[in-house]
Amino acid sequence: MENRLRVLRAERNWSQQDLAGRLEVSRQSVNAIETGKYDPSLPLAFRIAELFELPIEEIFVSPSRRSSKAI
Amino acid sequence: MFAAWRSDFTPAQRAHTKRVLWLLLAYAIVLPPLVWVRANTAVAGYIPLLMAVVAALPVLGIFASWGRYLSDETDEYHQAMTLRRIAIATNATMGAAVVWGFLQAFGVMPLVEAYWIPLVWVVIQGFQACFGGAPPRIRED
Repeated sequence: MENRLRVLRAERNWSQQDLAGRLEVSRQSVNAIETGKYDPSLPLAFRIAELFELPIEEIFVSPSRRSSKAI
Repeated sequence: MFAAWRSDFTPAQRAHTKRVLWLLLAYAIVLPPLVWVRANTAVAGYIPLLMAVVAALPVLGIFASWGRYLSDETDEYHQAMTLRRIAIATNATMGAAVVWGFLQAFGVMPLVEAYWIPLVWVVIQGFQACFGGAPPRIRED
């Protein structure tokens, strides 16, 4: 799933390790989510949204919305 | 390099690795004398059964450690990757065991002891970790 995690992280000058520490996950998890190789669970997505103080929809791009735009 | 590798482990992975290393050590210590006794003495009765159980216990412990790891792991990504590797390795190993079994039954292949099956299972997971379903490389930033 596409997301803005890398951009949001860069705005705060956080490394992947910093973000991983704040989310209490591994750095590999952060990398996998940022690169779209892994979609977080709902609880983790909510933790990410709460950390950045943004709605989930402003961080993660809904796959259905993405495909409808392509049409 | 080992320190960097170890620092990327989650606490659950470190605990699991330690448990497995101790169990492998126990296996390495226990197995040779049992094999020697079996090959050089005429043990009978319940003793060969006891020897077989003792030889299998460390390996059973390794599988128990895997189960413990999956329940201890709090990082959902690592948990998902491990489950994926286990599913692929289990399917591949069971498939290979079935094929080999029929080939052996029809006289095409020799008999292979069943204790090689877990080893094949572990090796397939190792291949996945190295070449296939491995976690993405960590990009330095």
